[in-house]
Amino acid sequence: MAEMWISMGPQHPMTHGLWTLKVKVDGETVVDTEPDLGYIHRGVEKICESRDFTQITTYCDRLCYASANTWSHSYIYAVEDLLEVEVPERAEYIRLIAVELQRIASHLMWLGAYGPDIGNLSVMVWCLREREMMMDLLQELGGSRMHYNFPRVGGVKRDLPHGFAQRTRAKVSLFLNRIQEYEALFDESTIFLIRTQGVGYSKPEEMVNHGVTGPNLRAGGVNYDIRTAHPYSVYSELDWEPPVERPSIKGADCYDRYRIRVEEMRVSAMMVLEALDKIPRGADTYHEPGDPAILAKAPSRSPEGASGFHHFEDSRGESMFYLAGGGEGRGKMPYRVSIRSPMFITIPYASKCMVGYKVADIPAIMGSFDPCIGETDR
Amino acid sequence: MDNAHDILPSKDLDLTVTISPPKGIWPEDIVLGRVLNLQDGFGQMQPALEGLFSATMICTVVFTTMMLTMLPIPYIERKFIGRLMDRLGATTTLRSLWIGESGVTAGEWWNQLPFGMGAPIGWLNKTLNSIWGNDHHLEAVSRVNNRGYHGYWFLLPGFFQAFADFTKFAGKEHIVPKEADRPVYEVAPVIIISTTVLVFAFIPFGPHFYVSSPELSVIFMMAIFGVAPLGVFFAGWSSNNKYTLIGGMRSAAQLTAYEIPLLITVLGVCVISGSFNLIEIVDFQAEESNVWNLFMLPLGAVLFLITMIAEVERIPFDMPEAEAELVEGWWTEYGGMRWGLMFAAEYQRCYAACLLFALFFLGGWEAPFQSTMESLPIVGGSLEFLLSLIPGIVWVLIKAWALFAVFVWIRASLHRVRTDQILEFGWQWLLPLSIANLAVAMFLRVWVWDGSWGIVAPVVMILSGIVGLVILVVDEDKEALESMRRPYSTYAVTKAYPGRHPDSKLEDLQRQYTSYSAVKTASSVSPSDTEAGT
Repeated sequence: MAEMWISMGPQHPMTHGLWTLKVKVDGETVVDTEPDLGYIHRGVEKICESRDFTQITTYCDRLCYASANTWSHSYIYAVEDLLEVEVPERAEYIRLIAVELQRIASHLMWLGAYGPDIGNLSVMVWCLREREMMMDLLQELGGSRMHYNFPRVGGVKRDLPHGFAQRTRAKVSLFLNRIQEYEALFDESTIFLIRTQGVGYSKPEEMVNHGVTGPNLRAGGVNYDIRTAHPYSVYSELDWEPPVERPSIKGADCYDRYRIRVEEMRVSAMMVLEALDKIPRGADTYHEPGDPAILAKAPSRSPEGASGFHHFEDSRGESMFYLAGGGEGRGKMPYRVSIRSPMFITIPYASKCMVGYKVADIPAIMGSFDPCIGETDR
Repeated sequence: MDNAHDILPSKDLDLTVTISPPKGIWPEDIVLGRVLNLQDGFGQMQPALEGLFSATMICTVVFTTMMLTMLPIPYIERKFIGRLMDRLGATTTLRSLWIGESGVTAGEWWNQLPFGMGAPIGWLNKTLNSIWGNDHHLEAVSRVNNRGYHGYWFLLPGFFQAFADFTKFAGKEHIVPKEADRPVYEVAPVIIISTTVLVFAFIPFGPHFYVSSPELSVIFMMAIFGVAPLGVFFAGWSSNNKYTLIGGMRSAAQLTAYEIPLLITVLGVCVISGSFNLIEIVDFQAEESNVWNLFMLPLGAVLFLITMIAEVERIPFDMPEAEAELVEGWWTEYGGMRWGLMFAAEYQRCYAACLLFALFFLGGWEAPFQSTMESLPIVGGSLEFLLSLIPGIVWVLIKAWALFAVFVWIRASLHRVRTDQILEFGWQWLLPLSIANLAVAMFLRVWVWDGSWGIVAPVVMILSGIVGLVILVVDEDKEALESMRRPYSTYAVTKAYPGRHPDSKLEDLQRQYTSYSAVKTASSVSPSDTEAGT
């Protein structure tokens, strides 16, 4: 059969988002790929030029809708860098809890989508049900199930609700037990192993050159996690280490990328439990919204020429926000918001990783990189 | 031939033709006799009509039975998958299938039966729950697959979903892709559904409940079963769609690859049973050997199961219609009733596979241990009478449905195997194993069979089956398994461990890798760094 271009998407049940992946196949082997992005480009960066700093948080939630808290916090840290605001420690702890719970929810969403990619349909419902537990907790914190608008410039919107610590400990402990069920379903299944091992090798040196970060990079053996390399928030005060997978000499395959996220879920869960123990003034005290213990006073205007920058460990890699101050409204709005999306950098590399494998491996490889097109297209 | 009801007068029309050749050529006249006998012809019509009528009736009755007994199939699938998704575990799921869920009794339908007939069932349920527990409670999120609220009274909530689906399919528009090859496009579903239904002509639902039973019914049936891949290929090719083309070719390759082990396995069953006729195979198990073929040919049963799952294209072998990459594979361009019929055909093939397994290996319409029970000294007679009250079709159906639950169990828990891995598995593993199975069957039939199996052969075969199962299932050494899981050269056998690189044999590689994290500052904690001296 001659070589032909197959277009997977934009309407496709399993491409994890709204994009087109054109693959050139020779029989059953992929010979070339061409990703096509931009279907949900919403012009967020341009919109943000005419919004207040507090209004932009809601846009950042919707950048990657599966991992909303990480993006809004990423933005807020950049604003605090721009406006030079000191965040109280209790607020940092609350933010850490929110971010790590969101990371667990995001990885669960990934796992719930990855199972059906490989063919296992039951695990989708299981993962989504665990994710419900995390979303319940995040709903208590943030008020809604997916887009929370939780951080404020200088702190957080509200304190941990009454009984939150107890419920979180119960649910997270239950979740830690359930992770073992997922591992049993995947790791002990020969079919899963033959589908994901030896498939989709990504070399660490290529990933570093390309700019891939996050779990995809750590699956390749590179010990780079921004939470430890450039510590922000209170990560350095907790006793944890980022999981780094041991790949083979050929690089990281899909199995490595799957394993790293399972371990990350575990590490995040343990971090949440530890943060609940270490939070200053205890997890059961409650402060009213606006209390200086959880929200510091922050200027609402930034001088012209000021700039704020922060890079943040998002669920999918390194997200960066660069803000240039001194925009409209005499500095109430930023002049420029520039967003670096990890997936925008990873997807071209991931498409390259598919060359040489079979058509049937495309969902396995693409799914293992955990694409989220919302943040890619912004 | 009743004279009073004949159409024509009873006297034959006597048209005698006489040819008088010239005297020199032939001496006498040639009389060709009565060449036109209208009464004879019409008289033959009535038995022919009778025959046609009875054939039609048998076909209709058997077809209706097949369709009605197929209704539990999507029911089992939906309930089983729904409850597995509730995380009930497979055994609790199996037990929960016969418990209702809502309505009057909140699940305990046996309490509604008159005269307290349901009390033993209630006792059985309670005992099983007390031994193995029952996490079966209504979960809000599980309603998706259960659809439990529309059904008859107690036992069948969700039962009418199949009818609703069918009605929906029937009401949809027939869309044909513009550049599709129209004749082939139309013919493909016809081939698939017709061959599938035709298979049921030869499957006996009970000892006297079948459409036809020629002497070579197994061969005929397998041949018809194997025509469907042609329809699949037609469907994939004619839709003018690259997805379906790939799906159709994958399907053709896979089905062809698994036809051969299937046929050789079936051949083994026929050899051991001594006949190609399906009814005689079941009679062999029921009457002559008194041992189900499952125990005599455990390998054959497993092979039949695996090849049949591949033939009906269920997970783990459903790559041709894998939603992940091919939308619906070769079905993509079909809509409305064409798709509905092919979807029904897939479930009918599953059902045929389950019935065939029940007939080939599980003794068909024989109750478990029927011959043993009947030959018991004192109670044998009464047991025989009790067992004869239950029609044979009941046992066939119970076995087929239970086996379908196994099919669904496999579907819900396993992942999808890639096409080239499927083909590799089929050609490299199943084909030699099926030939070995055939050899074993031949050996058993030729050298061991002398009117009965005796004691040694069944015991040996059962033990070998159990030993094989134990070897395959039991995990021996966790560490060895772990290292086996990474088939290529790896350095560490432990899974990803937070931060720490556990073993020290790889200092160079570690150094090489960690040197890429040149952004690492002093605050990052990594003992391996200090060890490796970066």
